[in-house]
Amino acid sequence: MRSRYREVRARNESAWLLPNDGRRTDHRLRQDMRRFADDDELDLVIVGCGAGGSVLLQRLARAGWRVAALDAGPFWDPDADWVSDEAGSHHLYWTDPRVIAGSDPVPLGSNNSGRGVGGSMVHYAGYTPRFHPSDFMTATLDGVGADWPIAYPQLRPYYEAIEQELPVAGEHWPWGDPHGYPHRPHPVGGNGEIFLRGARKLGITAKVGPVAIPNGRFGNRPHCIYRGFCLQGCKVNAKASPLITHVPDALAHGAEVRADAMVTRVAVDERTGLATGVHYVRDGRERFQQARMVAVAGYSIETPRLLLNSASSRFPDGLGNDFDQVGRYLMVQGAPQTAGRFDAEVRMYKAPPPEVSTEEFYETEPARGAARGFSVQTVSPLPITWAEHVSAQGHWGRALREYMSDYVHWSCLGALCEFLPLPENRVTLAAEKDSYGLPVARFSYSQCDNDQALAKAAQGVMEDILRAAGADEVITIQRYAHLVGGARMAADERHGVVDRNCRSFAVPNLYLTDGSVLPTQGSANPALTIMAVAARAADQLASGSAGGG
Amino acid sequence: MTGRFPGFGVLDQAPHWDQVTKDLIEARVRSSAQAVTFFTANERGCAHALLNDLTGQDRDDAPVPVTKLVEARLAAGETDGWRYADMPEDGRAWRDTLGYLDADARARYGTSFAEAAEADRHRLIQAVQDRSGEDWHGLPAKHVWSLWTRYACTALYAHPDVWAEIGFPGPAYPRGYKNIGVDKLEPYEVRDADPSIDPVRKGD
Repeated sequence: MRSRYREVRARNESAWLLPNDGRRTDHRLRQDMRRFADDDELDLVIVGCGAGGSVLLQRLARAGWRVAALDAGPFWDPDADWVSDEAGSHHLYWTDPRVIAGSDPVPLGSNNSGRGVGGSMVHYAGYTPRFHPSDFMTATLDGVGADWPIAYPQLRPYYEAIEQELPVAGEHWPWGDPHGYPHRPHPVGGNGEIFLRGARKLGITAKVGPVAIPNGRFGNRPHCIYRGFCLQGCKVNAKASPLITHVPDALAHGAEVRADAMVTRVAVDERTGLATGVHYVRDGRERFQQARMVAVAGYSIETPRLLLNSASSRFPDGLGNDFDQVGRYLMVQGAPQTAGRFDAEVRMYKAPPPEVSTEEFYETEPARGAARGFSVQTVSPLPITWAEHVSAQGHWGRALREYMSDYVHWSCLGALCEFLPLPENRVTLAAEKDSYGLPVARFSYSQCDNDQALAKAAQGVMEDILRAAGADEVITIQRYAHLVGGARMAADERHGVVDRNCRSFAVPNLYLTDGSVLPTQGSANPALTIMAVAARAADQLASGSAGGG
Repeated sequence: MTGRFPGFGVLDQAPHWDQVTKDLIEARVRSSAQAVTFFTANERGCAHALLNDLTGQDRDDAPVPVTKLVEARLAAGETDGWRYADMPEDGRAWRDTLGYLDADARARYGTSFAEAAEADRHRLIQAVQDRSGEDWHGLPAKHVWSLWTRYACTALYAHPDVWAEIGFPGPAYPRGYKNIGVDKLEPYEVRDADPSIDPVRKGD
């Protein structure tokens, strides 16, 4: 076992820096953390310590950079801060005010936002599929969406590296660029069993994984206990999040994580046009951290919002927004969720919600009458989320209670449909202000015909799978999942905000290293791709002339 | 309720829960008498009737203190992290919509919503749900319905007594589950006494 992990441990020791005495946090490592002064000019200050920010922090700390990540939320301790309870996990989400609009407004909060060190990966399900090679060139292949300024092979080594660091468990993956995973697939619970059974009957290939939960011990991270509360923060330290996969190694290599620090503005020198650091608020005091370079990794709502709130005389419409690209092409996946009723007891709350997926429908299929496609995965809602599914059927009062009493008999699948990037799906600033006095984000979202056709097709496939498995009834709720885009990478400044290396076109020492740079979203959960893009940007920075240390 | 899981008590398992979770759930059940005030007395009476109707409880003998739980959230400004552009912020939206419910009750039954008969209250609530694509007192009815049911369901299904009613054992750390798979139960889980009751099929 030791030799098996020698290579990954040599480049990222996070899992071995966690305690092995039953506690989940190495408090000593945090107490001893290097702390920079505001007037220490850092090589790089990172805004946001989630999937993108943490990977960048860890990589550049390893490269010897003087680097700190500021996060608006807390530095979580899973033992003290997280509970094995749905309603009690509300503090894991970004719940500052936001406004949603458009013809198909997208709920935020618990669905697709995070808060604190680790970001939304603290409460993501744990699915970590790669994008397909086609996702990087949908304009060329399918005449929709956009081509990335990089292609799949340029990201592949970073996918492989991150899959080892999380690490990911799953069967050999036959879709996209076929590949294996470092850990064997987990055993499945009732929900996964139903999915596999229905798929087998229909001749649909479905596979167990890919899930960022090691199957076995990994460093000092214990084995998963299959308690089903992945979406409430993993108290076990089994499910991967940057809090345990990248932050510990970053701290051990001299990085600082400054929690509870809300960045309000990126400062740019009006004469040189270069970023000089970030204004932030901590403990009610306004402060300024100097840095030679700035990376923003606040995800698809807060990254555009911060840029828009950083307007100046040079950038009157928002930082880096000379061509009205900031905030645009924000994507969400259509995520219809279909449940089937069985006389047997499925008890889908047991075992992690992420178990089984199929990418059989991922690519464009002309017979569907729509471009691109969808994936189908197990989702296993806990009671509050399940009540949302049931009440969406129109039930309330005693009828709701009666339908809900049937919970143990239901199996639930979710689709991820590749809704297309559209320019009018965007973040702007609302008139309303938050507690820092800053305009809040207004996210407007409307579907196109292609989107609706995909959601309908996905619902049909899920109904077929569940019926083939023996369901006597199926019920569906229309939902959304994930966010990407909003400050996309492109070949030039007229089509995006950053270049292929995540560097701002307008401000050469400003980087965006999070999900907001993705030009398309595929039908894959985005966490792995966000980490891989950040790891690639870090490599470019560390090897380039801009390097520090 | 129907009692599909006879003898199943979620709180019986509390000794197996981690301390932080245990403290949280026990505080929720006690629903301590801390003075949380967000609503006016009138609003509270209306909210109490509405929330208990939505959650299928008798408001005079409600096992789950839904009104207190919702009022505590509103007092703390604990929103879901978003609001529809065509709705006011949640606190304002609750006050306004409770006022509109009262206005509807007075117009149709000559009494406040809280004092209206149960069947009349249910008709008024159903009327809001039925307006789905239209406005109700100038607000999109489906967004009002979303606001009410989100807060009501979150409060209701956070309670151990209601978990027991649906066969869900609640917190599962640090014990986890040993028997996963269709029809596999832990020793402390209770099998559904009547698995052929299918409310959906019956409902159709």
